[in-house]
Amino acid sequence: MLGYISKRVAQMALLFVVFLTLLFLLLQAQPGDFASQFLDPRIPAANQELIRQRLGLDQGMWGQYWTYITNFFTGDLGTSFMRYPKTVWAVIVERIPRTMFLFTMATMLSYWMGFLSGKMLAWRRGGKLEYGITLGGVFLYTVFYPWFALMMIWLWAATLEIVPINQFLTPDFWLDSPFSATSVFTAMIWSSVLVVGGLLVVQTVAGRMKEYRTQVLLRRTGRVLVFGIFVWYWASSSMRPFAADITHHAVLPVVTLAFIAFAGVMLITRGSMLETLREDYILTARAKGVPDRIIRDKHAARNALLPVVTSFILGLAFIIGGGLVTETVFSWPGMGELLLTAVTSNDIPTAIGTLALIGALALIAHIVVDIVYLFLDPRIRVQG
Amino acid sequence: MTTTREKAGETGRVKPGESLIEVNHLTMDYKTKEGRVSAVSDVTFHLKAGDSLGLVGESGCGKTSVALTLLRLQASNAEITGGEILLGGVNLLDLSEEEMRLHRWSDISMVFQGAMNAWNPVYRIGEQIREALDLHWPVKLTHEQSRERIAELFELVGLPPEAMDRYPHEFSGGMRQRATIAMALSCNPQLIIADEPTTALDVIVQDQILKELKKVQAELGMSIIYISHDIAVIAEVTDHMGVMYAGKIVEYGGTDEIFATPRHPYAWLLLSSTPSITGPRRKLAPLVGEPPNLMKPPSGCRFHPRCPFATDQCAAEEPAMEDLGGGHLVACWNHEKVPVGLSETPKEDL
Ligand SMILES: Nc1ncnc2c1ncn2[C@@H]1O[C@H](COP(=O)(O)OP(=O)(O)OP(=O)(O)O)[C@@H](O)[C@H]1O
Ligand code: SF4
Ligand SMILES: [Mg+2]
Repeated sequence: MLGYISKRVAQMALLFVVFLTLLFLLLQAQPGDFASQFLDPRIPAANQELIRQRLGLDQGMWGQYWTYITNFFTGDLGTSFMRYPKTVWAVIVERIPRTMFLFTMATMLSYWMGFLSGKMLAWRRGGKLEYGITLGGVFLYTVFYPWFALMMIWLWAATLEIVPINQFLTPDFWLDSPFSATSVFTAMIWSSVLVVGGLLVVQTVAGRMKEYRTQVLLRRTGRVLVFGIFVWYWASSSMRPFAADITHHAVLPVVTLAFIAFAGVMLITRGSMLETLREDYILTARAKGVPDRIIRDKHAARNALLPVVTSFILGLAFIIGGGLVTETVFSWPGMGELLLTAVTSNDIPTAIGTLALIGALALIAHIVVDIVYLFLDPRIRVQG
Repeated sequence: MTTTREKAGETGRVKPGESLIEVNHLTMDYKTKEGRVSAVSDVTFHLKAGDSLGLVGESGCGKTSVALTLLRLQASNAEITGGEILLGGVNLLDLSEEEMRLHRWSDISMVFQGAMNAWNPVYRIGEQIREALDLHWPVKLTHEQSRERIAELFELVGLPPEAMDRYPHEFSGGMRQRATIAMALSCNPQLIIADEPTTALDVIVQDQILKELKKVQAELGMSIIYISHDIAVIAEVTDHMGVMYAGKIVEYGGTDEIFATPRHPYAWLLLSSTPSITGPRRKLAPLVGEPPNLMKPPSGCRFHPRCPFATDQCAAEEPAMEDLGGGHLVACWNHEKVPVGLSETPKEDL
C-alpha cells in the first residue's frame, strides 16, 4: 500500500515537471523574447542588452530552462511586475488558502449533497419528484456558469440582501482589527482541517472495533467531541466576529460553485447507484433479509461511491475552471482572480507562478483522491 | 434481536417427515413492453422436511423464477396471478414485506445461480456471513461467537477458517461457491434453494461441491430444492424431482422412478439425450427445436410443437396432471405411448 502511494507521488512529481516544461515552452513560443514586449524601444540598445542579461534572457533556451526549473524548486518564482517589489511567492502565498478554502468547501459540499441526492433518486426511481430533480440536475449541469453565478448574486445579494455582494470581507469592519485577515483566515482553515482529520481518525478507530455497538458508541462520542472542541475554540476566540465576517462573505461563492459541481455528482451517483442496484450481491442481501435502508446504504451506496470518487479526478479541471470564474465574478481574491489580473496586466512571472501552483494543487488533489480510493476499494489495495 | 426468531418462527420448525413447503398452482407473469411473459404457470409441488427436490428443465423454462418467488424476490415487473406458497402452513404471499423479511434466510436461504457475483466486493467474506447471523441468529452473538460459527461453517464446506478474513476477489470460483453454501447454511434454515450452484465450475470442483452439499444436508436435516438443467446432477442429489417445461411442471415423482420410467415425452427425450457415464453406451436421442417463446406459449400442451408423440388433441387441449400411482404425476395425453426404458433409436418406436 505504501509502495503504491509512493509510486503515485513519484508519478505526480514527474507530471509536475512535464507541466512546468510545457509552461516554459508556451512562453518560448511567443514571438520575440518577452522583454521586447514591454521594454520601451526608446531605451538605448546597450541598456536593453543589460536588462536582458539581468533577466537571464541571453542564456539560450536550455540555459533559461535550467534556471527556470532550479529556481522553481528552490521556491524562487521571481518578482511580480504589477506588485513590484513583492515577490511572486509572497503574492501567491496570501492567495493559496483562499482558493483552497473555496475549492475544498465547495467540493465537499457538492459531493456530500450530490451523493445523498443521487442515491435517493436511484432508490426512489420512477416518481415525479425523481424526474423533476433529475431534470433540474441536467439544467444545472449544462447551464452557462458565469450567467448562473451572476443570477445567484442578483437573487441572494442584490435582491434579497441576505449575503453581502462580492469581496472577501467588509473593509470598514476590519479598520481597527487587531488581526490581519490572513491570520484569521489561516486559523479558520486549520480548525476546519483539524475537524476533518479528527472525524477521519474517529471513523478509522471505530472501524477497528470488533463489536458493532462499540463502533457506534465510539463514532458518536468521537463526532460530538470533535465538533465540541471546534465550537468551543471559536466560541472562546476573540477572532470570532472577524471569522464570522469572512464566513458571511464566503457563503455565496461557495454555495454557487458547489451547486454547479453538485449537479454532475448527483447525476453520476444516480447512474452508478442504478447500476449497482442491479448487481447480484444486492439480490443476495435482499435474500438474507437485510432491511431496505441497510441494503441501500451499506451494500449499494458503498459500491456506487467508487465511480463517483473517480469522477472527481475527471471533474477536477471543471472545478478549477469554475473556481476561476467564481473568483472573478465574486471578486474573491484567490489564485484564479490573481491569474486573470496577472494575465491581463502582462505580469508574466506572477501568471506563470499562479498557473504552476494551480497545477500543483490539482495534482495534490489527485493524489488525495487516489489515497481515498485505496481505502474504499479492497481490490486496489492488494495490487499496490 | 432475540425476538427475530420468535417472530419469524411463528410457524416454528417443521419436524422431519412433516410437510415443510407446499406450492399450489403458483402462476406468475412478467410484464414487459412487448407483452406478458408466462414464466410460471400452475406450478404445484410439496416438500417434506428433510427431503430434497430437484427441478430440471432447459434454459428459460422458469426454474429461477419459481425459486425467486419462493423467497418473494421476483423481479419488480413480475406479477403473481394465482396460487399459494405455504411454509409450515403459512401462506408467504399473504405476509407483509417486513414479515417476509424475517422468514428470509432464517427459514429459506438460497444459493444463487452465478453465485460468483453474489458477494459484495468491498466487504470481507466473514463480515458478509456475520451480517446474516446478526440478523437471524436467535440470540445476539458476540464477535468471537460469530467467528466460531463461521469457522464451523467453513469447515463444513471444506474451506480453511482463516479464509473468512479475505475479500471475495481473493477467493477462487470454487471457494466463493463453497462460501456461498456456508452462508446459506449459516442460520440453520429449514430449506435451502440451490439454483445451478455449480454450473460455472469445472467438473471436478462441481462434483466435490455436490458431495459436500449432499453430506451437509443429510447431517443437518435440512430440505433442499435443487435446480439444474443437468439431469445427471439432479439424479445425484435428490429424492424427488419435477421436470419443468415452458413454465409448467410436466412430470413429477421419485427421482429413481422417473429415471427408470420417464412418462412424459419431454422427460424421456431429456433423459435419452443425456450421455450416461455408468450405463451402457447408447446413441443420443434428439431433442429437436427450441423452447417456446413464453410471450406466446403454444396452445394446448406447450410441448406439442416439439413432441414426437403429438396428436391433434395435444394442440387443442391442455393435458391435466394425472396420478400414475405412488405419487408419480404426469401431464400428457399420450403417456402410454412413451416407451419404457431409453431407446437407442427412438424413431423406430414411433
Ligand atoms: N424480469 C424479467 N422480465 C421479463 N422476462 C423475464 C424476466 N426474468 C426472466 N424472464 C423470462 O422468463 C423466462 C423464465 O426465466 P428463468 O430465469 O426463470 O428461467 P430458468 O429456467 O432459470 O433459465 P436458466 O436455466 O437459463 O437459468 C425466460 O423466458 C426469461 O427470458
Ligand atoms: S400431451 Fe401431446 S404434445 Fe404434449 S407431451 Fe403429451 S403427447 Fe406430446
Ligand atoms: Mg435460472
